[in-house]
Amino acid sequence: MGIDVGKFLKSPEFDIRITTYRDIFQVEALERDRFGEDYRKLSACIMLSKNDLHRMGFKPGDRVKVSSHSGSIVVEVKESKRDEPGGLAFMVNSPWSNALVSEDTGGRGMPEFKEISAKIALTKDNVTTIEELMEFKGKI
Amino acid sequence: MLFGWSNSTCEAQINGIRLAKKMGAMIDDTSSFCQGMLIEKVLQNKFKTCSLEEIRDKADVLVYWGSDAQDSEPRHLSRFSYFPRGQMRQRGYEEDRLAIAIDVRESNTAKICKGHFYRISPKGDREFIFALMDALSGKVPSYEPKKMLELAAIMKKAEFGAIFVGIGLTYSIKNDFEILVSLADMLPNFNIMPMIGHYNMRGFNEALFRETGFVNRVKFEGGAHDAKYSIVEALRTKSIDALLVVGSDPVSSLPRSLLAHLASIPVICIDPCVTMTSKIATVTIPCAVAGVEAAGTAVRMDGKIIELSKILESNYPSDERILTMFMEAL
Repeated sequence: MGIDVGKFLKSPEFDIRITTYRDIFQVEALERDRFGEDYRKLSACIMLSKNDLHRMGFKPGDRVKVSSHSGSIVVEVKESKRDEPGGLAFMVNSPWSNALVSEDTGGRGMPEFKEISAKIALTKDNVTTIEELMEFKGKI
Repeated sequence: MLFGWSNSTCEAQINGIRLAKKMGAMIDDTSSFCQGMLIEKVLQNKFKTCSLEEIRDKADVLVYWGSDAQDSEPRHLSRFSYFPRGQMRQRGYEEDRLAIAIDVRESNTAKICKGHFYRISPKGDREFIFALMDALSGKVPSYEPKKMLELAAIMKKAEFGAIFVGIGLTYSIKNDFEILVSLADMLPNFNIMPMIGHYNMRGFNEALFRETGFVNRVKFEGGAHDAKYSIVEALRTKSIDALLVVGSDPVSSLPRSLLAHLASIPVICIDPCVTMTSKIATVTIPCAVAGVEAAGTAVRMDGKIIELSKILESNYPSDERILTMFMEAL
């Protein structure tokens, strides 16, 4: 029986800039049930251009670990349906994207929700749940 | 700190401000990390602005800047801006109106703007504003000269224009609203409209502005206004030891790294819905849904006061009533 060498190899990691946006269907899912599956599916994802998917070797539906200095999450990859030039990834504004946003505002009180620098790599871990995002020192 | 307010009636907001004043507490709302600074400039009359009805009746050039209204304010284009027939725009979007989108991505709003989508790089708004100002004053801009001259020509010809300022533009230019004021000064036929997502954020901003001269981030003890009294800085520096949240879900909407402190202090949450904040709150008080189970008023993004009716009976008190009871108990 052969050894699966692949599982010991670290997936290549890419630098990525992320901006956030609003999606009416995700907001509708939030209003219906923010702890439900629909809201998770529409929130726990990152949208990449076709160019970036090709460059990074990802496919739609792959799970990726996205990490910034402030935190890390596991989300699903989606392909942008628009003709995006690449170099910029998109996440819907949600607790998942907020896990990556820095608390450092330079004293201005306005976090950089729309300018997140992160690293992205394929992972076999499960997508981060909303319950995991609510774990604060044993509370919930 | 008393925080939230953007999904509360004006009457509840006024009670909240009174409560904060009585306790010498800090008070802040979601505009603190949203459109607060822009609304403050509007209330200080730094921009020419107008009503949404005037836009519907008169506007011929509509500029969505860092704003995806189709997703964030989904009835905006159909009720007030691009699609409706207006008094002076009887041919509507087919002939009488032109919509322009300036954004970092081709949003659903940008798709509607068809050939008039200007893609900018993240944080590229400042460069775009300066280039547009050059083009408007007859100079050849260094950034995308052909496109900028074309856009300037459209804007100069406008009889009644509107710039819908979205959060994308607000975050990009940060504190420097003077450059937007300078651009607006060069466009006498244009009106500035702050694009506000929450239904009554402007109501809170106007009420606090009347009381203190500031739209958010106020500490009543000492009568001070400062960024350190914003929810973000107050949590980051751990300078608050209790939090009352009304009609907001900061656990969902703030950077997660700030939330450990929020979760470690007593939190009272007043909300009609179960939220991430209500789940970790020490005390949760369910309230009636304003505009469905409780009456009141709200202020629309253009400043118009809207009456909210009660159409269903509820066993829950309104947030206004709960705050009155707090005042009585104190």
